Amino acid sequence: MNNIALGRYLPLNSIIHKMDPRYKLLSMLILMVTIFLPSGYIGYVIIGVFVLLALLLAKLNFTMIFKAMKPMLFMLVFLTFVNALVLRTGYVLVDVLGFKIYSDAIFRTLYITVRLLLMIMVTTILTASTKPLDLTLAIEDLLSPFKRFGFPAHEIAMMISIALRFIPTLIDETNRIMKAQASRGVDLKEGNFKEKIVAILSLIVPLFVSSFQRAEELADAMEARGYVPSATRTRYKQLVHGLKDYIMLGSVILLLGVIIWLSL
Amino acid sequence: MPIAFEQVNYIYAPKTPFEYEALKRIDLAIELNKITAIIGPTGSGKSTLVQHLNALLLPSSGTIYVLDREIVANQKNKDLKSLRKKVGLVFQFPEYQLFEETIIKDVMFGPLNFKVTDEEARQKAMKALAMVGLDPSYYERSPLDISGGQKRRVAIAGILAIDPDVLVLDEPTAGLDPQGAKSMMELFVELNRTHHKTILIVTHDMDHVLNYCDNVVVMKKGEILTHQQVNDFFFKGEDVLDIEMALPQRLKFTEALRAKGFKLTDKIRNVQELALSIKKEISHE
Repeated sequence: MNNIALGRYLPLNSIIHKMDPRYKLLSMLILMVTIFLPSGYIGYVIIGVFVLLALLLAKLNFTMIFKAMKPMLFMLVFLTFVNALVLRTGYVLVDVLGFKIYSDAIFRTLYITVRLLLMIMVTTILTASTKPLDLTLAIEDLLSPFKRFGFPAHEIAMMISIALRFIPTLIDETNRIMKAQASRGVDLKEGNFKEKIVAILSLIVPLFVSSFQRAEELADAMEARGYVPSATRTRYKQLVHGLKDYIMLGSVILLLGVIIWLSL
Repeated sequence: MPIAFEQVNYIYAPKTPFEYEALKRIDLAIELNKITAIIGPTGSGKSTLVQHLNALLLPSSGTIYVLDREIVANQKNKDLKSLRKKVGLVFQFPEYQLFEETIIKDVMFGPLNFKVTDEEARQKAMKALAMVGLDPSYYERSPLDISGGQKRRVAIAGILAIDPDVLVLDEPTAGLDPQGAKSMMELFVELNRTHHKTILIVTHDMDHVLNYCDNVVVMKKGEILTHQQVNDFFFKGEDVLDIEMALPQRLKFTEALRAKGFKLTDKIRNVQELALSIKKEISHE
């Protein structure tokens, strides 16, 4: 439970960490679009170099990315298999007892792998360098133009931040309950089907009970302090943007331009 | 075989930016058939230490001996369940582990996991519930509908029903009213004296240490500062002030009287002795 690498904030001191979360979020969205454009090999080399540079600037470790990739491994194997069966274009690469694997099958899989890898790198850079709460502030700010059409930007941002806030709490709680039930002889690894169901129940029921309790307590605490969802309010934390943010967004847009030009 | 720690280290989240050394080269031997208190400021590693006793946490290095088991770091440890049958661990705020529809079923849950028959589990549950002072009228009620103190009792009964030789309790009286806390501590003394259980209690309450425990282990920043008999600890007393914990009420009162010029006997073990000593002093004048 403690080694979830994907989407975890890492408190490092890098230039990317100090950037304005709004610009980071926007840049990430643009990069996502860029990655999905059919830009060919040269395009992916350029994007790859760009993303690697960002990874270095954020002082992140490459092993982290691999850890995040691990759950995708099964998917990639499956994809290779399906592609090998279905795709019948390009030239024949291998011929095993009349079963032909075509070059396009391999290239297509490679394509998807590279895209997936780049996507994970980009999102990891964002989440590892931005505190979840800053991220929700950014979401709220970026959505606020839609407020005039009745879109509840603040409420949605609040919901997201509360949900994010309670993820670690719930992980801790789950660990605690698992240990407490293990002390009562629950074994999640062994036992027959019925025993496993009971073991899972002994975890789920207390988790639900305490989550509802927490939700109620939080609602009470917020109401006691006069929280009204739709009220206009000021913020303690002000997001500031400066030259480095413009440079980042500018270079990402430039990259998008180059890739669009390449894929025409 | 006793309970002993040999050069035990425990590191949380090793090789990440969150790495934290919670236990540092712990050497400790716990006496059987005694009540041992484990005290220390928050974050001193008390909870981490006790979770090693039933192998919920495995040492990063070092060896732990618990009864006839030996747990060595970096080795595959099989059949930890049999160890958990012998060492019962009650977590802090154990109320949250209740989940069955009725109290009796919840208390039977532990014994049933250790493969006893339904009938035997029921017997054990009834015995455990009687020990914690809940009568048969509670058996069919939901464990979620009773008061906080009663929930705590049901949760502790859930471990007692497994009938472990060693009972480990992490802050069992936290959040209870003084009367509830007192009867809880008396229950542990009773379990120790008449059922000969080895008991370890993590606590913040120095009065409980003085009044109910035999030995005391003081921890700070993942290390053991001292481990001695409660009487020696409080009455030789150099170490007491060093751990940022309040003295027991009775010792505070005695010291205040001494400061005012009362001449009291040296070792005062309980309230009665204190009262006698004061009476003697007053009648002198």
